[in-house]
Amino acid sequence: MDHLGAAMIAFGLALGGGAIGAAIGDGLAGNATINGVARQPEARGQLQGIMFIIIGLVEGMYFINLAFGALFVFSLGAK
Amino acid sequence: MRFVLADQPPVTHPTVSLGCGNWCTFNYDSLISSALAVVVTVIAAILIARSMSSERPNRAQALAEWAFSYVRSTSKENAPDASSFVVPLAATIGFYILVANYLDFLPITLIPNLHPANTDVNQTAAMAVVVFVLLHWYNIRLRGFRGYLLYYTRPHELPVWARALFVPLNIIEEVVKPVTLSLRLFGNLLAGLLMIFVIGLLLPGPAAAVALAVWKLFDVLFIGLIQAFIFMLLTLVYFGLAREGFEQEHSH
Repeated sequence: MDHLGAAMIAFGLALGGGAIGAAIGDGLAGNATINGVARQPEARGQLQGIMFIIIGLVEGMYFINLAFGALFVFSLGAK
Repeated sequence: MRFVLADQPPVTHPTVSLGCGNWCTFNYDSLISSALAVVVTVIAAILIARSMSSERPNRAQALAEWAFSYVRSTSKENAPDASSFVVPLAATIGFYILVANYLDFLPITLIPNLHPANTDVNQTAAMAVVVFVLLHWYNIRLRGFRGYLLYYTRPHELPVWARALFVPLNIIEEVVKPVTLSLRLFGNLLAGLLMIFVIGLLLPGPAAAVALAVWKLFDVLFIGLIQAFIFMLLTLVYFGLAREGFEQEHSH
């Protein structure tokens, strides 16, 4: 197997594993926000702002994953 | 009609070398893009500042004042005695990153050597290094050099042998801060840009135009704003974290 093929398989695995983590993290953030809004409906605006910040932080890890996977695949492919 | 001129996504950058090795090799496409972003940022800031009036504030002024007062109040909560230099720093970084991210709204797949400036890791790492250096300078000024070294033996209430065990952890924590700060922004922006290229390469002309419009309105507008905001907020939060334990140490 050549290096590019191996890199693509690794990229796919990294994408899948990273997506699991990001999805769980997003779900936890959404869960906590729904609980908060159900308990205190007047805090909805504040909680939404905080939720988007948390989601941005959580998904940051996944996008680092994605960007580096793409970087490796494309820089190998360009050789 | 194709929507993409380049034959591969902008993951590798064209470089120009001044002939002295890695330290003076420049990604000139990133230089062009960030120069454009800087010019737009400065001109927008000057225009907003010149049109300010206390009698009849216009929309841009209201928006700028709201954003700036938000940065200032967050900074006052987190790092009160650093806010004199943290507020301009964080506000500038936030505004500049927002403009640089929104370069995505230009038809970047048709313009050579132009991409959102933050899709180059050198660009985001440069901003993170500025924050990192200022953070440690602030920490040394706050505690003195000896206090700064002792800061790495947190938590202070433990016995000495346990505090020595925490030193490597604290050093890793400090090093990881600028790394995640830069890589988070870079990864998000590069993923968005790759998606734009994939859409442009895979779909036929009109479908690609519609898909690109939808993608840019969702991803660029939303992720670009959130990532700029997070970079700014984390800058403030890191300056706040630098004060951690400072009050307890000096209250008794």
